[in-house]
Amino acid sequence: MTTDTTPLTHIVDDDEAIRDALSWLFRTRNVPCATWESAEAFLDAWQPHWRGCIVMDIRMGGMSGLDCSTALRQRGSTVPIIFITGHGDVPMAVSALKRGAFDFIEKPFDDNALVDIVQSALEEDARNQARRTARVDVAARLEQLTSREREVMGLILAGKFNKVIADELNISMRTVEVHRARVFEKMGVRSAVELAQQLTLAGLYNTATPSAE
Amino acid sequence: MPSCRGIAIGHAPGDHPWYSVDRAQHAPLLWMTATSLMPARKNRPLPPTPAWYWRLPSLTLVLMLIAIIALVWMTRHFDDEKQHEVLINDVLWMEQDLRFRLDRNEEQLSQIGSELLTEATLSPRTEASLEQLLKPDSGLVQILWLDGADKVVAARPYTADDVLVGEARGAIPSNETNRLARAVGRPIYGPAYPVIGDNWRFNVHVPIFVGSRHVGTVVGVYSLQQLVVRELPWWFSERYRVSVHDPDGKEIAAKSKVAAEASHQQYTIPFDPPGYGLTLKVTAYKAPTRWVPVLLISAMVFLGGVIIWSLWQLRQHTLGRQAAEQALRGEMAFRRAMEGSLLTGLRARDTEGRITYVNPAFCRMVGYSEQELLGATPPMPYWDPDQLERTQAIHDNILAGNVPREGVEVRFRHKDGHFIDALIFEAPLIDASGEQTGWMGSFLDITAQTAAEALARQQEERLHATSRLITMGEMASTLAHELNQPLAAISSYGSGCLNRLDEGQVDTGELRDIIGKITRQARRAGDIIRRVHDFVRRSEPKRETVDLNAVISEAIGLIEPDVRKRGVELQTQLAEQPLPVNADPVMLEQVAVNLIRNGMDAMRDVASAQRIIRVETFADGDTLIFRVSDRGRGIDEDAARRIFDPFFTTKDEGMGMGLNICRSIAELHGGRLGFEPNPDGGTIFTFSLPLAS
Repeated sequence: MTTDTTPLTHIVDDDEAIRDALSWLFRTRNVPCATWESAEAFLDAWQPHWRGCIVMDIRMGGMSGLDCSTALRQRGSTVPIIFITGHGDVPMAVSALKRGAFDFIEKPFDDNALVDIVQSALEEDARNQARRTARVDVAARLEQLTSREREVMGLILAGKFNKVIADELNISMRTVEVHRARVFEKMGVRSAVELAQQLTLAGLYNTATPSAE
Repeated sequence: MPSCRGIAIGHAPGDHPWYSVDRAQHAPLLWMTATSLMPARKNRPLPPTPAWYWRLPSLTLVLMLIAIIALVWMTRHFDDEKQHEVLINDVLWMEQDLRFRLDRNEEQLSQIGSELLTEATLSPRTEASLEQLLKPDSGLVQILWLDGADKVVAARPYTADDVLVGEARGAIPSNETNRLARAVGRPIYGPAYPVIGDNWRFNVHVPIFVGSRHVGTVVGVYSLQQLVVRELPWWFSERYRVSVHDPDGKEIAAKSKVAAEASHQQYTIPFDPPGYGLTLKVTAYKAPTRWVPVLLISAMVFLGGVIIWSLWQLRQHTLGRQAAEQALRGEMAFRRAMEGSLLTGLRARDTEGRITYVNPAFCRMVGYSEQELLGATPPMPYWDPDQLERTQAIHDNILAGNVPREGVEVRFRHKDGHFIDALIFEAPLIDASGEQTGWMGSFLDITAQTAAEALARQQEERLHATSRLITMGEMASTLAHELNQPLAAISSYGSGCLNRLDEGQVDTGELRDIIGKITRQARRAGDIIRRVHDFVRRSEPKRETVDLNAVISEAIGLIEPDVRKRGVELQTQLAEQPLPVNADPVMLEQVAVNLIRNGMDAMRDVASAQRIIRVETFADGDTLIFRVSDRGRGIDEDAARRIFDPFFTTKDEGMGMGLNICRSIAELHGGRLGFEPNPDGGTIFTFSLPLAS
């Protein structure tokens, strides 16, 4: 039912009843999930391209939830993590959130509120994923530009008119127009504004606009 | 005189101010023999003995001795002068006398000479004259008369020449002298010559003229011995030794056989006539010793010697004294430094309890000055006003002679108000005559130790409480986690089911499965609860048959130090007969300690005189009663309702479990724990237990 790229909610808890109950709860809300009986087992199986979010007990036999999150972050994962604990205290919460936890939920909790948090975590992950995908796409398109076209694109993004660009690059207006059309075509946009938006979304705006001088 | 000081010290120590001061300063360390303990004052240093103290008498003595010696010498000298003068006078007189005799003899010889030479027979007058001349006292031993040709006509007495010895033999009477006499016409003396019998003689030649014609010579033979012996009066020979010496200085005649001292007074004159270098030597016999001046002088010298000796002795004595004083001062300084550096307070009292001595450490300990303390009588200013009676009792007990060897612990109040715990050791003060004059006490400040002990006890209690808390907390935490798991699972299952029901897509099989799981989790929670029960049930009391009185006594022993520290009076009235009970003694002890401690806590703000806890045990039928009454602030209505609730407390550091546990213990043993207001104020807790069958 799920593939490797389907966003999944990973439930990591050493208590079998909790794992089972949570997966039933998520199923009833149509949130696909996977269960892991320990942090070690989860880390062993984890792949960098896995999407979704993690719901993890802080206190477990073996590796603790906090240590597991640290290990994940070290491997470059940005997957949101929601911690659950029966012995919630402020220092632990602060520590967890500082390490980039998405949220921290104390037992006993409102089950559907947990599902809501998981859903927002999934959305967050999806956004992250989209941004990442966009960046890869835009970077590939930028690769196709010739160096002259890059120059022209930089000047376009600087908001200059074709005439000024022609003067600056010492080429004819006609040539500037051809380059401009090529850049728009290669970047898959229809206007300078759209181009700027695309680059901004991919977080590449600065690399795409080298200084005109 | 410098020695006066030393004598005064030795004879009247009490009169000497510095002496008595030092004695007092010394008192604490000589206390076993001290007769009186006087207030210690500053010790004035002894002024150094001026050098002239010693020099002046010595100088005076030397001068006096010189004067005496000069006087003696001068007296002697004067005497000698005088004697010499007398000697000269006497010698001159003797010379005069001798000359006079010789002259007279000459005269007589010349008178009778013409008759002797011219007449054949002598007239009776001449005979008488001859006889007269030959008397021993005239000095003449023989008279010869010679004619003009120097031939001996006759002699009287007639003796041969055989008395003559040596060269004189045959030469006497000397013709030469005769000739000289004839030539000069007057008597001439011849030289002295020896004769038999160690005698010396000399002759006088008297020329006799008839008209101007020389008719012969009368020779008078003198014996020197005779002349000197016979002619001198007795008093002269008594005083002097008269001797005649020849020109060589050889003695040829002497008045006395007794030799006079050569060096003594003597006088020598030429013995002329007869002359020829003969000398007459007069030597004074030693004058009879004049005893009175000698005795007086001797006495003076002797006394002078005695004075010097005694002065020397005194000086030795004084030096010894000074050395002893120096040593004593050094010793005193040492003792004072020791006393000053002592951390132990020292306090002496007389037999009436009046303070007679305190050391600096004691003053520091109680904050009062020496002046304020000396002479103070009980109650002392440093006694704790809250414990006056107890302190007075201890004080009286010591004065009565009941001195505990291990010391007495007393609480004092420093002048600035803080309290001191002191450990006192008392020892009797015995004076030199063996009589007890008071008590000497040494005080050890044990405030710090006591405080440390109290702190340690408190900390231990707190630690105990904390560890109990931690244990309970951990247990609660584990329990919470354990229970949380099934409950969380149940909750999630339930929420999922509700979600399904809300969506309307009900799959009965699926729901049944989930509800089954819910049931399992509920059972799991139940199991956890049961485990807790089992755990609690495991701490059941270990019952045995014990005497309630013994248990309570044990508990009182445990809490006693705390009772004393808080200044609470604990009155116990235990039943006379044993009270057997079937119970866990440790638990009962815990109840007793808890109830007594609660009582003391309740009286924290009560005046010390009212801090009384009463502990009673008695049997009431088949029920044994243990009662603890306090005079504290009592229990108000609100507190009374909740007093046995767990975690209910009125104390800052309380846990609120004490009475709860006590009641649990009571119920475990089939007894009851209750309380009621004390008619005297405060509360009475009653713990009842069934009598063991």
